[in-house]
Amino acid sequence: MNALQWWLTLSILLFCIGAYGVLARRNVIVVVMSLEVMLNAVNIALVAIANFRGGAPGAGTLFALFIITIAAAEVTVGLAIVIANYRNKRTVQTDQFNELKG
Amino acid sequence: MEGTQYMKIAVALLVLLPLAGFIITLLFGKRFFRTKAHLLPVALVTVTAVLSIYAFEWVVRHPDEAFVWNAFSWVAAGRLTGEWGFLVDSLTGIMLLVVGIIGMLVHYYSIGYMKDDPGYYRFFAYLNLFMFAMFVLILANNYLLLFLGWEGVGLCSYLLISFWFRKKSASQAGKKAFLVNRVGDFGFTLGMFLIFVTTGTLQFTGVFDKAEMIGSGTLLWICLLLFTGAVGKSAQFPLHVWLPDAMEGPTPVSALIHAATMVNAGVYMVARSYPLFIHAHTAMLIVMIIGTFTAIYSAYIAITQNDIKRVIAYSTVSSLGFMFLALGAGAWVAGIFYLFAHGFFKGLLFLCSGSVIHAMGGEQDMRQMGGLRQKIPLTFWTMLIGAIALIGVFPLAGFWAKDEILGGAFVGGDYVVWAVGIITAFLTAVFAFRLIFMTFFGECRASEEVRHHIHESAKVMTIPLVLLAIPSALLGILVGWPPETGWIHRFLEPVFFDLEHEKFAWLGVGGGLMVFSLAVALLGVYVAYVMYIRRTELPARLAARLPVAYEASFNKMYMDQVYEVVPIRSTIAFAGWLWTFFDVKVIDGAVNGLARLWELAGERLRPLQTGRVQNYALSIFAGMVVLVVVLAWFWGS
Amino acid sequence: MPGGDFHPWFFVIVAAWVLVCGLGVVAFKKIMYSAVSMVFCFLGVAFAYALLDASLVAIIQILVYVGAISIVVIFAIMLTELQDGRYDQFFNRQSIFAAPLAVAAAAVLTVVVVSSDISGVTDKALNPGLRVLSDLLFNRYVFPFELVSLVLVAALIGAIVLARKEEERS
Repeated sequence: MNALQWWLTLSILLFCIGAYGVLARRNVIVVVMSLEVMLNAVNIALVAIANFRGGAPGAGTLFALFIITIAAAEVTVGLAIVIANYRNKRTVQTDQFNELKG
Repeated sequence: MEGTQYMKIAVALLVLLPLAGFIITLLFGKRFFRTKAHLLPVALVTVTAVLSIYAFEWVVRHPDEAFVWNAFSWVAAGRLTGEWGFLVDSLTGIMLLVVGIIGMLVHYYSIGYMKDDPGYYRFFAYLNLFMFAMFVLILANNYLLLFLGWEGVGLCSYLLISFWFRKKSASQAGKKAFLVNRVGDFGFTLGMFLIFVTTGTLQFTGVFDKAEMIGSGTLLWICLLLFTGAVGKSAQFPLHVWLPDAMEGPTPVSALIHAATMVNAGVYMVARSYPLFIHAHTAMLIVMIIGTFTAIYSAYIAITQNDIKRVIAYSTVSSLGFMFLALGAGAWVAGIFYLFAHGFFKGLLFLCSGSVIHAMGGEQDMRQMGGLRQKIPLTFWTMLIGAIALIGVFPLAGFWAKDEILGGAFVGGDYVVWAVGIITAFLTAVFAFRLIFMTFFGECRASEEVRHHIHESAKVMTIPLVLLAIPSALLGILVGWPPETGWIHRFLEPVFFDLEHEKFAWLGVGGGLMVFSLAVALLGVYVAYVMYIRRTELPARLAARLPVAYEASFNKMYMDQVYEVVPIRSTIAFAGWLWTFFDVKVIDGAVNGLARLWELAGERLRPLQTGRVQNYALSIFAGMVVLVVVLAWFWGS
Repeated sequence: MPGGDFHPWFFVIVAAWVLVCGLGVVAFKKIMYSAVSMVFCFLGVAFAYALLDASLVAIIQILVYVGAISIVVIFAIMLTELQDGRYDQFFNRQSIFAAPLAVAAAAVLTVVVVSSDISGVTDKALNPGLRVLSDLLFNRYVFPFELVSLVLVAALIGAIVLARKEEERS
């Protein structure tokens, strides 16, 4: 098992931890946080592969950079939605958001 | 063949002129011709009568050849070609005379009879269409074209029977005629298929050349199936039920179609197919039996009917039975001779009855008539001539023809047939003169106002009567004398050159048979005289004494009831069952069931939509994992 | 290890740090603990970037994630904290299925990676330096760069519109 494989394994484990959080937690803010963890895991994988295997110069790194940026934007908007929702329903429990049922 | 250019023109015109008359009159009659709508059709039909005579003349001048002309191919499908091909030989010549002349006379008659009818133009259009179809039928040189004409006359029959379509009984009669005819046509079609399959052609010459090569079983079927068509078209038992009801149509229609021309189509077809029948003895036997049975059966019914046209209608059925008797017994020439004469005197009888009805202001029940002899003398005398011709009294046409037939049967050894024929002749005399006596003799039983209106019909109606009475009277002597070797026999002999004459037995067992049948006819007249002039209470007493016999005759032997119960009710019941069970349960069940299936599926699947994103995310993630596994499996190796 | 100045043990420490903090995010019942865990996780990831010779990314990570996103999250937590702050359940009903699924996913992917033939191309680290990166960013990848700024503006405006209070109508 070489170095790259170790790094990728780390990325995978972190990703799955984050995935569990997204799927299993009831508080929607925790879900958002787990989502960020997942994104970081992906970034690690990207940077690792760019570091060990090259490819187009700088592509991996810049890609990771863009992901960070977009993640920031996404968190902002997402939490704004959560807050707006909270104002109406007074809850942050994911099970309560089922208007699209049926 | 010399001189055939004119024949080609003649034949083409014979077919095309009436067709043109139909189209033009139908399209423009209502608007432009109105009460003059008869002009074009009558003119055309006069021309066709002349052309028919010309064609007949041609045949006379060319005794040993026939005119054959394959005009053009209409439909070609695989091995089968539908050709407009024409054949004129002696048989055609006779038919042309009958159709052409009587057709023309009926057209003229209709000018008077159908005056003031709102559907005037329609009537003449249909009459012309009928002439077209009939000419096609008798001029055809192959079965397919014959069938075209066959169906065409069936259609015209329907159109003309239900001419006064607003009258329920008329429209129903038309339907009945068409449907019963159809049954026969079905058999005819099957017969044609069989012919084509076994011989590969539908042309008469082609088929007849191969007649000996067809296996006897197949040949029997072919003949029987063809005969079925004839049974339908010529109203033989059991497909005769439509003809009496067809009297709902105007009298000229009855005269033309149901006496002189269309019903002869069946006889003509069998006569034409004789080279086939000649080799299928069982078929000939069946033809003879059915013909004989029908003859006496309908004569028996005719003696109790009160509607003047019905009597004549049943008489027609009986006469047609006679013709089939003749053909079945092998007396081919005699049968055709009878057909020839019958066209004239039966047409005459119908037109006369029309004249009577016209005089009586529309009344058709003979019980309301009587004593019309002095009031409409011309009609009386012509009708008397027709009746005498019908019953076969020397020296009128009916005598010679009928006698040849019966004599042929006797000599050929069919004594039962001969006996039945004699009895039928007796019954015919009875009902014919019953009609004459009830209508023209005795006291007038009509009401006052009807009596005032009784008048002789217009010249345009009476002249055809006279013109028909002449051949009815004289035809026998002119063409049928002496028996077996008269002009008509020599004329018709060459039709089938290679036919063996084994069945053409020599008639003339002296004057014996002739005298006997004459005596029988006169006896019938006497019986009618007694019952309806001398002792007029006799019929009622007889009816009371023999109620069953009387009721059977009066109710047309309950044939309509039989038809109602057996095929009609069961078909309706079957249709009802199909509806309640099959359509409702099976088909609706399947369709509704399918809909319910989707409904259920939707209901069961709905809980999947929880509205919660996390649930959906779970499914997506799980799917992704599965996908990765699958991909890894197939790539890894 | 490429960029071979660092001892493999560094990797183990960083990896353990990141994983434990990740678990913390997912497992803590109190949200604030989760949030703090998340911050530390980000820090660990920044270290990982550093180990991977991607210094620019590491710095940006700290600036953006630790510096901005974490703040936003904490603000959101504070704004949505219910009064009595007690919930009956922290994990939803499908967590029973999610757990084995996550484990299975991890197992499958790990197996794939481990059994594959993937390895470093050379012995040297290949993440480019700052100069090269900036050159690329403003020449070759300028279009995505500008697009991303557009996205940021849109997100900014969107978040403001979404989160502001409804105006009182008088």
